Amino acid sequence: MFRWGRGNLAPSILAMRSFLRRREWEGWLYILPYLLLWGTFIAWPVGYGIYLSLFDWNPIRGSRYVGLANYVALFDDERFLNALTNTFKFVTMVVPLTLTVALTFALLLWFWRGSKILSNLAQAVFFSPYLLTVSVIAITWRWFFDPDFGIVTAFCKTFHLACPKFLADPLWALPIIAFATVWWLVGYRMIVFQAALGDIPQELFEVAKIDGVPFCQQFIRIILPLIKPSLLFSLVLTLISAFRTFGQVLMMTGGGPGRASEVLALYLYWNAFEYFRIGRAAAAGVVLLGLTLVLTLLGVKLLGLKSELQ
Amino acid sequence: MKTIKSMIQNGWLIIMILLWVFPSAWVALTAFKSIQEIFTIPITIFPSRPTLYHFERLFSTWPFNRWLLNSLFLASFVTVISLMVCTLAAYSFARLNWRGRDVLFLIILASMFLPMEVSIVPLYFMTIHFKLFNTLYGAALPIIPLPIGVFLLRQFFLNIPKDLEDAARIDGCSSWGVLRHVILPNSLPVLAAYGVYIFNYAWNEFLWSLICLRDPKKVTLPVGLRLIQGAFELDYGLINAAAFMASIPTLLVFIILRRHIIRGIALSSGIKG
Repeated sequence: MFRWGRGNLAPSILAMRSFLRRREWEGWLYILPYLLLWGTFIAWPVGYGIYLSLFDWNPIRGSRYVGLANYVALFDDERFLNALTNTFKFVTMVVPLTLTVALTFALLLWFWRGSKILSNLAQAVFFSPYLLTVSVIAITWRWFFDPDFGIVTAFCKTFHLACPKFLADPLWALPIIAFATVWWLVGYRMIVFQAALGDIPQELFEVAKIDGVPFCQQFIRIILPLIKPSLLFSLVLTLISAFRTFGQVLMMTGGGPGRASEVLALYLYWNAFEYFRIGRAAAAGVVLLGLTLVLTLLGVKLLGLKSELQ
Repeated sequence: MKTIKSMIQNGWLIIMILLWVFPSAWVALTAFKSIQEIFTIPITIFPSRPTLYHFERLFSTWPFNRWLLNSLFLASFVTVISLMVCTLAAYSFARLNWRGRDVLFLIILASMFLPMEVSIVPLYFMTIHFKLFNTLYGAALPIIPLPIGVFLLRQFFLNIPKDLEDAARIDGCSSWGVLRHVILPNSLPVLAAYGVYIFNYAWNEFLWSLICLRDPKKVTLPVGLRLIQGAFELDYGLINAAAFMASIPTLLVFIILRRHIIRGIALSSGIKG
């Protein structure tokens, strides 16, 4: 006997029916505006960027597919390798320092038993540089470290100390930019850590106090394990933003002196919008993407973002 | 004994606060000094004769008010549209059932970490093609679909009790009604937090605005500062006055909305391991 049931229907028709009946389309309808914007301005440009990196871009004679030639040229380019090295140097300076200072501030304010007004003020002040635009950060520190009329130079002169030319000195340029970046970014991470510290049950410390556990032990055994998620979150965030550093460098040194402080994003910017080597710039972008992707996967693994989906 | 200890503690904190705020204060102080005083050695900390000379020059030679309005428009536009589309998307991800939902969410979540650098060249071509180049809309649109917005709002929507929704459904609410009458009224803190976050993000956006906006009258504040610095590299009075003026609005907003901003950051990091 013929039965009009599930088994007789082609799966696709079944899916179609359930799509129409169970109002599956409703879910899609709600994400549609976001998805359109996301697809146009986030997903598509990344795909097109990878595509462009495989071409010798030329608007007059027409672009030509060159395979991986742009990447080969990139790794043959001493300037690119220099930018890559500088980026890594910058990251190794900025990331540990930012996290350490942020954690120190957070702990300081958390253990603070003095006046509430003062600790609120401190929180606001430590956070405030994060609100400033990158241009303001660059202007502030450029002026601060001005080799002729800057306050640091004046300070050195008062005490008759030998004073380097700071941003005009190849040895000092990158560390000073890193220093300015730390000053800029610390506030945000501090708040993240403060939130994490606030979630630690207070009883743990009371017990530790009764048992006479010294502070460094408390720090290693209680605080660090319990704020680990926030620590990793900040680590990934800081790593990525340090790899992408652009504005500070452009405005503080322009990559100089020479190319002593040229980083990847700046290299990409010059190539794309000064020399119009679009293919090569796109390839540099893909390298940056690769670096970030590796870090992200690492971060997702460490953070266990997947568990968030349940 | 105790008072001495607390005085020392207070003293330490005050010193730290002063050190941290000093670079900004130095910019502000410089902005009010005369040119001669800026370039005199030994340096004076406080302006001996405060002057508004640099501010007058700033407003008379540069379209600073225009930049302020541009930044305000860009940031407001981004905030409003982003809040709308992210709320709709987050609602769908958190509360509606459909095929492929979790996979799509994971993909969008992963795109949170894509560096903008890889997209700037394609975006450049795209904005030229769509005649959005050198317009504020061109500068604004790529910032709107920030994945962290969807993530943040979804997290919050997930934690709103299901019973409320069921009750509304029994009363005959459609999914739109649930969003309007159940989800939105219960999510005001997170909407405010994300609103403040994205406003600040758009206000400070630099790289893409620098590329997209070329007409000096159309640029936003951060790019405008770059223009001033590029034109008068050593005119420290003018540059510091501009940096000072550009920071005042954000700092004022921060003083008013401090709690929301700090709460927003705490929320945005709220990945519970």
